[in-house]
This record gives sequence, C-alpha cells and structure tokens, in this order.
Amino acid sequence: MHAARNIALCTKDCLCLFICPTGATDTENGQIDFAKCLDGCRLCVDACPSHALYLVFDRYPVKPDKDVAVVSALDNLLESKAKQELIGAALAHEGNGGAKLAKAIAHSDRVLAEDCAREARYMLPQSNQTRKLLTELLGRRGDPGFPVEAIEQLLELLH
Amino acid sequence: MEYKEPHSSGALAAICTNLSKACDKQMRPTEAGLFGKLAAYFSQSAGVAGPVSFNDLDTCITSDTESGYVAVETRAQQVGDRGALRCVTWGKKVTTIHKSVLVRYAKQGDALMEGNNLYVCEACGFIAIAKEVPELCPICKAPASRFTKI
Ligand code: SF4
Ligand code: SF4
Repeated sequence: MHAARNIALCTKDCLCLFICPTGATDTENGQIDFAKCLDGCRLCVDACPSHALYLVFDRYPVKPDKDVAVVSALDNLLESKAKQELIGAALAHEGNGGAKLAKAIAHSDRVLAEDCAREARYMLPQSNQTRKLLTELLGRRGDPGFPVEAIEQLLELLH
Repeated sequence: MEYKEPHSSGALAAICTNLSKACDKQMRPTEAGLFGKLAAYFSQSAGVAGPVSFNDLDTCITSDTESGYVAVETRAQQVGDRGALRCVTWGKKVTTIHKSVLVRYAKQGDALMEGNNLYVCEACGFIAIAKEVPELCPICKAPASRFTKI
C-alpha cells in the first residue's frame, strides 16, 4: 500500500514535502516515488490540504461471483456494443459526410462496451475471472502475431 | 461459473482497454501497457463484413433498447445487482442519445455539426454536440476533464 498523487488536484504547496519521512513525495515528475514510499504510512495523505493524495493498494479482495444470467445478458450487450463500435469505425473510415459523427459514436460505443465488460466480471485485473480469460487466451499462442508474452507477463504480475 | 460463447475480437478489445484503464487507476503502468498491447491485437483482428450504413447502427440500437438492456435490467433487479443496474441506467440513456443524434443527422446532415465540436464522456459514453465542453456530464455527472474532444 503506497501513496499516489492526483496531479490535477495538487496545489503545489507544501505539507507532503515536510511530513514525508523518506522524501518520496519530492520528485521531478510530480508522482510519488513508490520505491521510497513506506508501506501503509499514509502521513502525507492525512496532511495534504488539497485532498490530492490517496493510497493505492497492492492487494484487492475477491468479489462474490456474479449471477450467471446477469453476466450472460451483459455479455450479449457487450457484443452488440462492440459490433456498433466496428460499424462506427468503418463509417468513420469511409470518410463521407458524418465521418466525425461516426467516430464519436464508435468512441462512445467503446466506453459502453467497457462498462458492460466491467459489470460482466472483468472489473478487477487481479480477479479469478480475468486470470481465467487470460489463461484461455494462451490457447491462441499459435495465431500469427498473437502477443502471447504479454499474457504470460500479465499472469505473472497480477495476483 | 461457465459461460457459453467465447468473446468476439471486438469485445476482447473492449475488455482489454477496460482492464488497462483499471491498471492505470491502480498505478500499474506495466500491466496497463500489456493490456493495451492485447487490446491493439484484438482491435486489428476485429472488423465488420461488407458495406455498412448509419441504418445498421439504428438496427443495433433498437435491439439494445428493446431487448438487450431489458434482459440485463430484469435479471439484475431479481438478484439485486446494483452495479449492473447502474450500467443499465447510464447505458440506456447514452444509447437513446445515439438514436436521437442519428435522427437529427438524418434530418440536418453535416449542418448538425457546423460551428460545434463533438465531445465524448470517458465515464459513460455521453456524446455532446456543442461549442464548449460540458461542465458536467448530464448522464453520469463526471467533470469536464473526463471528456474527450473528437
Ligand atoms: S505514505 Fe508516508 S512514506 Fe509514502 S509518500 Fe506519504 S508520507 Fe512519504
Ligand atoms: S500536500 Fe498536497 S497540495 Fe501540497 S504539495 Fe503535497 S500533494 Fe500537493
């Protein structure tokens, strides 16, 4: 568990620089130096007058399983949104009138699809459902250009 | 839990960008980049067959509003899945806006966008056709900083 800074909220005052026992808050890129931050310390989080500091966790809880029928219905909706994104992208590519509108619709459909994915069991990268999907995808290692190393690294990094 | 169909490439792309953003929020840039790589692979292997038109979008939208969202909402209410209900509440409104934008575009053509910009809310997908970025998303109340200008 370490601190992180929302740079948009930080008013560059002050107190986190004074209070941090390790200097982790004082960096040239504005972000906390995670390597120096002490696990669970949170002094800067409580000191910041702008609520710009928060804690990022290393472990996340296992969520209760989702209802199978809700997930199936969301999967169907996810497919529909993904299809609409592709139609929008194709229309934007054709470049005729409305190309920009089609691009906006495709972008919006991606956001809608992501929301369905989130509620249909893929909210947490560390979850069993995400790991199950990644493990299944390993079966495609023979496909040309398939980024199998990316999946192997993710399974290694995410717990 | 077992689910029947495997996801299409387009759906996998969205699953992966969603997980990439989740990693960004957890300050895990390496993992975010890896999910981004997967998303790029699935995006380039996804596509639609044959010529398409705005009518095809309209057909999908009608199916979503008349059955897709209804199915999620009905079951989510039965089992008290409030996260899914939130997704339905925002998604139905945004989908209805897609519909109305398409209707207006069919009537007005490119004049609809004249003098205006297009903005999309990154939290819920709301599309604004306006001169300035909205201060607050009318659907999900996300601030102006969550909008992308197209
Ligand atoms: S949590 Fe403690 S160690 Fe970490 S940056 Fe804040 S004050 Fe420094
Ligand atoms: S205390 Fe808060 S507002 Fe002040 S510099 Fe640190 S993060 Fe920024």
